[in-house]
Amino acid sequence: MKKMWLSVVVAVAFAAVVAGSALGEEINAYMGLSPENNKKVVDLVREKTGIQINQTFQSFGEIEAKVKSEAPNFNADMVTGCGSPLAFMAKKNGWTVPFVSAGWKGISDVYADPEGHWFNIANFSFVLVGNKDNLKKKGLKMPTSWKDLLDPKWKGDIVMPSPLSSGTANMMRFSFLALYGDTEGWKFLEALDKNIHHYTRSGNAPTDLVGRGEFTLGITSDENVKARIDKGYPLIWSIPKEGTGYDGTFAFILKGTKKLDTAKKVIFFLGSQEMSSLLSGIGYMTPRPAPNALYGKTTPKYIKIDLAKAAEDRPKNNDLWKSKFRTDFK
Amino acid sequence: MATAGDMTHTGSSTAIAGVKDFFNKNLVKILAFSLFLLLALFLLYPIVAVLLKSLKGPEGWTLKYYTVFFTKSYYFQSLYNTLILGLINTFICLVFGFCLAYMATRGPWWLRKPLKIVSLIPLVAPPYLFALSLIILFGRNGFCTKLFGMDWEIYGFDGVAISQCLAFIPLAFMMIENTLQSLNPNLEESAYDMGASEATIIRTITIPLLTPGLLKAALLIFVMTIAEFGNAAILGGRTPFLAPDTYTMITGESDFEMGSVLSVVLIAPCIIIFFIHNYLLEGKKFTTIGGKPVASEPRRITPAIMVPFTLVTLISCGAIALSFLVVLLASFVNILGVDNSLVLTNYFDFTTNYAIYNSIRVSFIAALIGAAIGVLLAYVIVRGNFFGRTFLEMVSLSGFALPGTVLGIGYLLAFSAPPLKLTGTLMILALNCVFRFIAVGVEAGISKLHQINIEIEEASADLGASFLTTFWRIVLPIMFPAFVAGFIYTFMTAIVSLSAVVFLVSPGFDLAAVKIFDAAVYGEIGIASAVTVKLVLIVMLCMATLHYITKKTQTGVAQKGVF
Amino acid sequence: MEKAQKPVMLVLKDIHKFYGENEVLKGVSLEIPKGQLVTFVGPSGCGKTTLLRIVGGFTDATTGDIILDGRRVNDLPPNMRDTRICFQNYALFPHMTVSDNIAYGLKIAKWNKERIRTRVDELLKLVELSGFGDRMIDRLSGGQQQRVALARALAIEPKVLLLDEPLSNLDANLRLTMREEIRKLQERLQLTTVFVTHDQFEAMAISDRLVVLKNGLIEQVGTPIEIYDRPANEFVAGFVGYVNFLKAKVENVDREKRTARMSTEIVCSLEINMAQDVQTGEEVLLVVRPESVNLSISGNGCRPNCCKGVLKSYMYAGSIAKCTVEIGDKKMIIDQYNPREAERFHPGAEVDVEIPRNVHILKR
Repeated sequence: MKKMWLSVVVAVAFAAVVAGSALGEEINAYMGLSPENNKKVVDLVREKTGIQINQTFQSFGEIEAKVKSEAPNFNADMVTGCGSPLAFMAKKNGWTVPFVSAGWKGISDVYADPEGHWFNIANFSFVLVGNKDNLKKKGLKMPTSWKDLLDPKWKGDIVMPSPLSSGTANMMRFSFLALYGDTEGWKFLEALDKNIHHYTRSGNAPTDLVGRGEFTLGITSDENVKARIDKGYPLIWSIPKEGTGYDGTFAFILKGTKKLDTAKKVIFFLGSQEMSSLLSGIGYMTPRPAPNALYGKTTPKYIKIDLAKAAEDRPKNNDLWKSKFRTDFK
Repeated sequence: MATAGDMTHTGSSTAIAGVKDFFNKNLVKILAFSLFLLLALFLLYPIVAVLLKSLKGPEGWTLKYYTVFFTKSYYFQSLYNTLILGLINTFICLVFGFCLAYMATRGPWWLRKPLKIVSLIPLVAPPYLFALSLIILFGRNGFCTKLFGMDWEIYGFDGVAISQCLAFIPLAFMMIENTLQSLNPNLEESAYDMGASEATIIRTITIPLLTPGLLKAALLIFVMTIAEFGNAAILGGRTPFLAPDTYTMITGESDFEMGSVLSVVLIAPCIIIFFIHNYLLEGKKFTTIGGKPVASEPRRITPAIMVPFTLVTLISCGAIALSFLVVLLASFVNILGVDNSLVLTNYFDFTTNYAIYNSIRVSFIAALIGAAIGVLLAYVIVRGNFFGRTFLEMVSLSGFALPGTVLGIGYLLAFSAPPLKLTGTLMILALNCVFRFIAVGVEAGISKLHQINIEIEEASADLGASFLTTFWRIVLPIMFPAFVAGFIYTFMTAIVSLSAVVFLVSPGFDLAAVKIFDAAVYGEIGIASAVTVKLVLIVMLCMATLHYITKKTQTGVAQKGVF
Repeated sequence: MEKAQKPVMLVLKDIHKFYGENEVLKGVSLEIPKGQLVTFVGPSGCGKTTLLRIVGGFTDATTGDIILDGRRVNDLPPNMRDTRICFQNYALFPHMTVSDNIAYGLKIAKWNKERIRTRVDELLKLVELSGFGDRMIDRLSGGQQQRVALARALAIEPKVLLLDEPLSNLDANLRLTMREEIRKLQERLQLTTVFVTHDQFEAMAISDRLVVLKNGLIEQVGTPIEIYDRPANEFVAGFVGYVNFLKAKVENVDREKRTARMSTEIVCSLEINMAQDVQTGEEVLLVVRPESVNLSISGNGCRPNCCKGVLKSYMYAGSIAKCTVEIGDKKMIIDQYNPREAERFHPGAEVDVEIPRNVHILKR
């Protein structure tokens, strides 16, 4: 009997110990770059400002769902990486704390909202990746035009993310629609669908899947292609001649935060040259120019995009996408 | 009750005594009521929240979301796939689980121990571990695919079905083994004695008597299969299933209304099966006169049974062991399938360690609370005598029939606004686990209580002990094993389960299961494998410690000599 | 000994059984004649149930032969052996009716429906349960369940019926009735039966012969009378009833009268009939059953074999009085049947204790 209670006491004590936690200047943020890039940003911020950003990796879509479901009582103090739909929605619904940050002085409107509602810390694009080994084995060459992907020889050998779950894929979709126009764009997507093996949940997943040779081609986020090549994956990447689309990685302060000053400090630092250099080094296009890991000093060719329209059209396009691509099964 | 003697007391002291008396007399009822409030708040309310959300548009009450669901073939296809997957899985898991359990309880001694060990490991590993190992082995660039030049498409229904089966066979095994063990071996021996062959015994005695256990296992596996979305999300390819669809609907499209509809659709078959299960069990609770417990001796099993059963056993245990081995190996490989050099870098990814630490914290707290509430619930259900007792029992056992995804969304909807704002805290994760898995603790408690005679308690009360003393001194020690069972189950399940908590993790509070899932869908097999291995090792360590403590305390309880 | 003339039904030859390192049967040999009821009796852990299970085929003997009706059956599984077992817990199939339980073995044996029905009715009548055929098992009392189990085992008459503690789940009164019923049934059907029990009185009452087991070895085989009156050793003597052991030494032997005079630890010297031969000077143990001793309040003059003692306790229970008497520093338990003048027996009273001449002598 004594032993039994002893064990209960031990258990309770253990629970008490594990329940307690950390210290210092902290801030909670939703952050959706990628697990490893999130970590790099968090480390740099801590190193330079002493602020600890608590984050959990979530995709742009997940962050959007979270923020929407929590409004107007947010669990986080700020967002430090989300897609354009949420940024424009947040601005429209008044979920942000607008302020003009000195740290973002001299940065173009593409990257910082003139009214200070949002700050775009990094533009990202999508690229075509191929597996060198698979291409060689099959005696195939990297396509040079997006239309080349429609060739039946790629049937079942291409992966791309699903726009239902991935912000990157949403970007791909609105980019192709912008490139070809709505009608032709959907025709292109339908023809492409015939060759797509499946749509991945995460925007980065095709990089790894193609890198490991599961599939030969992938349309994927450009953000960690460089890192994978450096790590030794037999990857080759290109931007077909029509160009690529882009979306931003937005940061803003959520209304109701109790840590406004800390949040402002973080925003200030996100506009710094150091942060731009870090993100450029990963492969993003950044507010302040810096040598880019993926693109070097050249700027890739961009498709012309209206982000606000893209955000507005998304629900409609999702429905259309589901009814087109979710009914046939291979 | 004031007797003539009491009348001499002053009025106020009688009043106090009266209040005290009232409390003493109604303690069980008060306890039951508070427990019911807890269940209502943390189990029923979230479900109702999901239901309400699915019925409420911006303009008020509406059925339009349901109309959308049933008129769009892509949702319907999803539902169809899910149900078929559930049925196939349940069937295979039951058959395999039965063979394994039969061999483990009736088979030769040398088979019993290894069988147990192999089949119990998956209980401490996340179910989607099998999706990882399938990709590693049979992916398009997988080990076996390359070695044998195979052309087998695992991304799709087959892959999901296989990984789900491997993930849930152990659960089926565990549940069926439990009932098989409690089956009096003399029953089968009697049939054997009367000339029945092994197959006849299984058909006419074993299976009919196992029906309640089999039904229960079927229910649990069906619910878990259709709710578990890790495997489906990783391996599903283009085949849609409800659980991952619900997840995408909420987190990808942030469409809560449709997400709720999908949840309600997901929960409907579970609830139906739960009621069928309860109905079928009516009057099927066989009681037999207990004798001295006889260990089931290994029989000379006829080849007609021995060969297929051993085959099934070897195949499933082999597949499970192989899956673990593969994941273990993969955790040391630099880039799987590309650069197969052995490295340790996957283990030095320390961002995941904090998540593992969190997982342990959450599961531990959940297990502690869950086991305690479970035992109390069991007590009031068995010993209480109040209006709504059966209802209370049904609610607390309904956890078996609730898909995790639904309860995750329910919690997100129910507890994200004041005054019940819990999102973003450790407690929401812990409470979610508590109430999802409460049924196990309750059930263990109920069966334990049925074993003790009420006379022991009455004797104690007779000796002048108050209700509280009786409960504290007599009931709790007896129910301690049930507490431990509830604790262990909640702890193990909570630490590896994904389907509910994935909706509830917040910045700065990640869980290991979610980390593994993210790494896996992200394509980082090495990291995913390494975290899995770490998690499995830590969970096993925790279980061993727990086992040690239980064993020590258990002897303490036994020495009390209640019986 | 005319019963031993009957043909032998079951022979056990040097049965050994190991569970790992643990030897639970250490060489048991036994012959059971046809039609006899033989009881395995002994304290728990003596191996009696294991032996029964070996006969039934549920447990394999490590070495040794089991010969049933002239045929070695070691390698036959239970479903091929002509033995039927009734388990302690009856092991009735709870998902079947009484009739279905009884008919189970008949269906396995592929009897046709009509024949099965007739046989089941016959059996129900035999165990006095006519009309109970459609009941479910859990609607029966313990005694009724016991009868169903018997009927089920007898459905196809076995060569040997095995009963594993069949009465231990019944209350005391029912146990007596059922014991008689089983015995009557067994005698009527001339069934060779092995009965296992730990209850020595039950064993004595029901058996033709007893097999007393201890630690995996047979201590004695014999009729109830032999076991009780002429136990082979101290263990058997003590196991089948209370016994006062008196250490004694043979002083001289009278071969003609076949008596021996002995000095004992209770001081007084006794004259004892010699059932077996003893030598002068030999040390022996006298087996004195409590009910064989004559107790009276000390009067004048002492009869032979009479010692003086002091009554320590006297528990009067109508037909019997249980007494404790101290003779010197030796305590003896004495049962007085049909006690007379009970008022005179009070603790402290001086009593005469008369040891009968025909007590059993055990060699030391």
